[in-house]
Amino acid sequence: MDPQPEPVSYICGDCGAENTLKPGDVIQCRECGYRILYKKRTRRIVQYEAR
Amino acid sequence: MASKATKPDYEALRELFRPHIDSFNYFIDEGLEKALLSIRPVEVSDPSTGGKLRIYFENPQVFHPVREGRITTTKGRITEALYPHECRQARTTYKGEFKVTICLQYNERQPVQTPMSFGHLPIMLRSRLCHLKDADPQKLIFHKEEATEMGGYFICNGLERLGRLLIVPKRNYPMGMIRSSFRSRGVGYSDKAVVIRCVREDQSSVTVKLYYLQNGSARLGFWIRGREFLLPVGIVLKALIDTSDREIFVSLTCCYNDRYQKQRGAVGSQIIGERAQIILEEVRDLSLLTSSQCLKHIGEYFRPVMDGFENEFHTTVAEAVLRDYVFVHLTRNHDKFNLLIFMLQKLYALVDQTVAPDNSDALQNQEILLPGHLITIYVKEKVQDWLNKSRRQLLDELAKKEKNLQISMVHQVAKFLNRNAASVGRSVESMIKLGRLTTSSSLDLPQREGMTIQAERLNFYRFLSHFRSVHRGASFAKMRITSVRKLLPESWGFLCPVHTPDGEPCGLLNHMTSTCCISSFYDSEGKVKDFLKIRMSIMTVLVGVGMTPLLPKLERAGPPVVLHVLLDGCVVGSIASSKVEKAVAHIRSLKLSSLSGVPNDLEVGYVPLSLGGTYPGLYLFTSPSRFIRPVRNISHSSDSNLNIELIGPFEQAFMEIRCADGGDGGRRESFPATHEEIHPTGILSVVANLTPWSDHNQSPRNMYQCQMAKQTMGFSAQALQFRADVKSYHLQTPQSPIVRTASYSKYCMDEFPTGTNAIVAVLAYTGYDMEDAMILNKSSVDRGLCRGHIYQTESIDLTKNHDREDRVLEIFARSSEKTMKSSIDSDGLPYIGQVIHPNEPLYSSYNTLTSVTKPTRLKGSEPVIIDYVTVDGTTSKNYMQKVNIRTRRTRYPIIGDKFSSRHGQKGVCSQLWPDIDMPFSAVTGMRPDLIINPHAFPSRMTIGMLLESIAAKGGSLHGKFVDATPFQNSVSEKDEDRPSKSSTLVDELGPMLASYGFNYHGVEVLYSGVFGTELTCEIFIGPVYYQRLRHMVSDKFQVRSTGTVDQITRQPIGGRKRGGGIRFGEMERDSVLAHGAAYLLHDRLHSCSDYHIAEVCSFCGSVLTASVIQPQKRAVREIHGLPPARTPKSYTCHACKTSKGMETVAMPYVFKYLAAEMAAMNIKMELQLSNRAGSGG
Repeated sequence: MDPQPEPVSYICGDCGAENTLKPGDVIQCRECGYRILYKKRTRRIVQYEAR
Repeated sequence: MASKATKPDYEALRELFRPHIDSFNYFIDEGLEKALLSIRPVEVSDPSTGGKLRIYFENPQVFHPVREGRITTTKGRITEALYPHECRQARTTYKGEFKVTICLQYNERQPVQTPMSFGHLPIMLRSRLCHLKDADPQKLIFHKEEATEMGGYFICNGLERLGRLLIVPKRNYPMGMIRSSFRSRGVGYSDKAVVIRCVREDQSSVTVKLYYLQNGSARLGFWIRGREFLLPVGIVLKALIDTSDREIFVSLTCCYNDRYQKQRGAVGSQIIGERAQIILEEVRDLSLLTSSQCLKHIGEYFRPVMDGFENEFHTTVAEAVLRDYVFVHLTRNHDKFNLLIFMLQKLYALVDQTVAPDNSDALQNQEILLPGHLITIYVKEKVQDWLNKSRRQLLDELAKKEKNLQISMVHQVAKFLNRNAASVGRSVESMIKLGRLTTSSSLDLPQREGMTIQAERLNFYRFLSHFRSVHRGASFAKMRITSVRKLLPESWGFLCPVHTPDGEPCGLLNHMTSTCCISSFYDSEGKVKDFLKIRMSIMTVLVGVGMTPLLPKLERAGPPVVLHVLLDGCVVGSIASSKVEKAVAHIRSLKLSSLSGVPNDLEVGYVPLSLGGTYPGLYLFTSPSRFIRPVRNISHSSDSNLNIELIGPFEQAFMEIRCADGGDGGRRESFPATHEEIHPTGILSVVANLTPWSDHNQSPRNMYQCQMAKQTMGFSAQALQFRADVKSYHLQTPQSPIVRTASYSKYCMDEFPTGTNAIVAVLAYTGYDMEDAMILNKSSVDRGLCRGHIYQTESIDLTKNHDREDRVLEIFARSSEKTMKSSIDSDGLPYIGQVIHPNEPLYSSYNTLTSVTKPTRLKGSEPVIIDYVTVDGTTSKNYMQKVNIRTRRTRYPIIGDKFSSRHGQKGVCSQLWPDIDMPFSAVTGMRPDLIINPHAFPSRMTIGMLLESIAAKGGSLHGKFVDATPFQNSVSEKDEDRPSKSSTLVDELGPMLASYGFNYHGVEVLYSGVFGTELTCEIFIGPVYYQRLRHMVSDKFQVRSTGTVDQITRQPIGGRKRGGGIRFGEMERDSVLAHGAAYLLHDRLHSCSDYHIAEVCSFCGSVLTASVIQPQKRAVREIHGLPPARTPKSYTCHACKTSKGMETVAMPYVFKYLAAEMAAMNIKMELQLSNRAGSGG
């Protein structure tokens, strides 16, 4: 396991607020309490085959 | 909304799902209460004190689906509405709490009412308890649903399931049947019986059979707890009411009259009097004379099987039997008596062959089992089971020595009862999840499995067809006889003749036509119908038109003088056969007006007098779950909206309905048409209606199209980004068809288009278009023709990897290794938008017990793109343990993918041909997107496709969509200014092309793309709507050269997933053998399979006794400092103790295995070796 995992951003499935969670955090939107969160798209460069 | 002038109207679409939703609403509104109140109160008595406790139910309620809301510090947890989207995402069930008030009455004290939760019941979407009920498109989209969302299904563990519409015998109608299996009921039984399926108010049913005995008597049979009980009919007749032998005799024989013998409609025969005497004698022989004696006899007989009647009198038991099992749709014993007399008369008429048996395979004698009614029955059964079980447990608890439970302490009892009350909800949920009924009794249902099916959203047509499909019953699928699969004229207008799959379920799985509906408990204003009131008003109407009510017991006559009138299976009177036709016409006219009190879906089944036909009578049905469809009543006002009458399949068979094509349909003057079809397309299902000009195609092609439409890759969902389907196919660049039928826009199919308008040239251009292969233009594909994706959602729940007991906590986490960081984020899940190749880690999890981080790798052979990842905190409170990962695979058209037009013309892409080499038009320079072979047309006769091509060409030049509704020339023309009927469709379409300078017949001069020369003949070219089917090579190809082999046989393994090969089977072997290709055969079956060199002892002939001798010389070589050389292994025969006879023989390894297996059975296999071919044995 990663010693210090960096936090990851999620978007609430209900209200759309951004939540940043660390491992062990409760999976719940801080704004509205919704419990299904969508992971944010990566900022890394991704490359696709354009064919 | 201002920009959009008209909001799309989805009402027509919603109407198709009504039967499902209405039936579930009935369950909530009324069925549940009726079912629970009909459960008999249970009494428990304490053996020591003698105190009695009565348990009964009151006020059942189902609540809206809710979930735990956020924690507020002041109030604690509050509940919030649970929406279906969350259930799909979190793989949970969309369910609401089911509460019942239980009343406990100790001795004669005041009953104590305690509300008790019976668990949760799944809630149908858009039913009365769904939060999306009556939601407009905007609200639906807000809650992450489709704008069109129609509901009608349940969500169980995230899967969408719906109740299967099953065909069951028509309720409350006595049916004459001939079955050889009836003979096996006992000695003296014949193969004839009259069967009636009686349905109670709570929709549970009991089938009663009246068997004919060879001696002229009859037996009444019904099932109690998996056993059929047979009673002499005379006893039942006498037990039902206080009657005399004379009354029975007269009622039975009244249907026979000397005067009308052999006349049309006479059903009675002379011997009926003798039969009536036999019936009465049977009772007399048992020395049962009075009603109470008969009751006592029945009570004694049934006491062992009736629960809860231990301390009752025989007569009470008998009354309960008559109430609960004999003609349960009637409440009064007089009505039951009359019905039994009627059934006896019908039975005797059937035996004397004055009437024909009813066909139980015809839709005329069938109705439908709706999901809401099934749930009502099932809940009743489950609550009853719970009550019986609780009673037993209470008695056990009371019998115990140390008394923990006092029956007088009612609250204690309530607490005790509460212990396994939730099992009711659980079993209903599991019934919907698995479709399996787990009950002790059969519930009088045709099957126990397959009651629900999954609603696949492969495309919209498939999804919709699930809700319109009607199944005949699983038991018929196994039968070898084909009569049940036949398309009968009775189903005209109710079941689609085109839309049935071919193959195994052919004719058993039908689809309702687009106009067909199911009669429901709700009237047009949405109120629950009061059937009692309806029946009363029908009764007054009937008396008004000349019916003689039954009640003053007149000596009745039978057909042909008078006809019996049955209202919902109750004999209410008789009507003179001379008056009946006028009466029927009057009732029909009353059906049309809303104020008459006669419901608009009343079925007026008037069976006229006939010679050896159906038993005559006037059968009226108000009941729900009948098929109904609208037709125009032309004998009434000509105002087009007020004369739409709803008719059922029972009455349809005896009605004169003409088609609207202006012809008489072969009808004679004496039988003028009274009704008219509204539109000829009303006989087709929704999917069959979407085939353009299906009336120009050969009929099997239309059937193929119905199947292929359901496996097309289409625009899967508008709410795609919120959906978590396990697998969904999605077409990225769909188009709306240029040529479309009227139903296409009526049912808003543009919301989910399923194809592309491709320019199709019909020519043999290359060698790559034989046998339905087709060539795609490579540049068209590059520009986005038929591009698609497969979305797959994987739900990972780490808590499910371990048993609940061992309490190992596993969470998503990334290991600190560098290699993992490339593909896995620090939360242990993949990056969104990233490409993951096979065998690369998809996610990784950390086991807190072993402190091991374990990556899970991607399976399969193609790269995927991570589409979304959701984390779900609804179950586990703290850790990230449940996630959905949705992946996307690209599926651009490649060689081997399957395509089809809308006319059953499917083909496989054989080449992606370069654009520059495609033929081009002399005038426009256009190159086709797709080339098909002209041989596809002559034998298949899909003229509709040719018409579509011409019409779409004209339509696209004109800038208009073309209406391709079938049977346009069969519609009455009064309201349309269509050109005269003599003109053909081509005469309409041709000039349109010609006006734009194109050839009248849709052909064009084409130039070869390769040589630049003009093609010698003109080529038929035009746009055709093409569908891409979901069968794609990428999911199917299977190749291997070398690979894994089977452990035992050393032959290549099978199965695409495991990297196995395709079997070169017996038939392939035969054909290679026939060609004399012996070397090839040897190569395939031996060298490339389990080639093996075995050591065989030529002395004993055994393949199994060879054992290796360890070479001794190695040591010597090592002393000399030489590297150990590979000495050939030498073998010795274990049995002969010598190596002299050892020979090497090439053989399939399985042969050696066979020898070993035989040895295990004590069979010795001996090989005789020789060098010369043919000299061995």
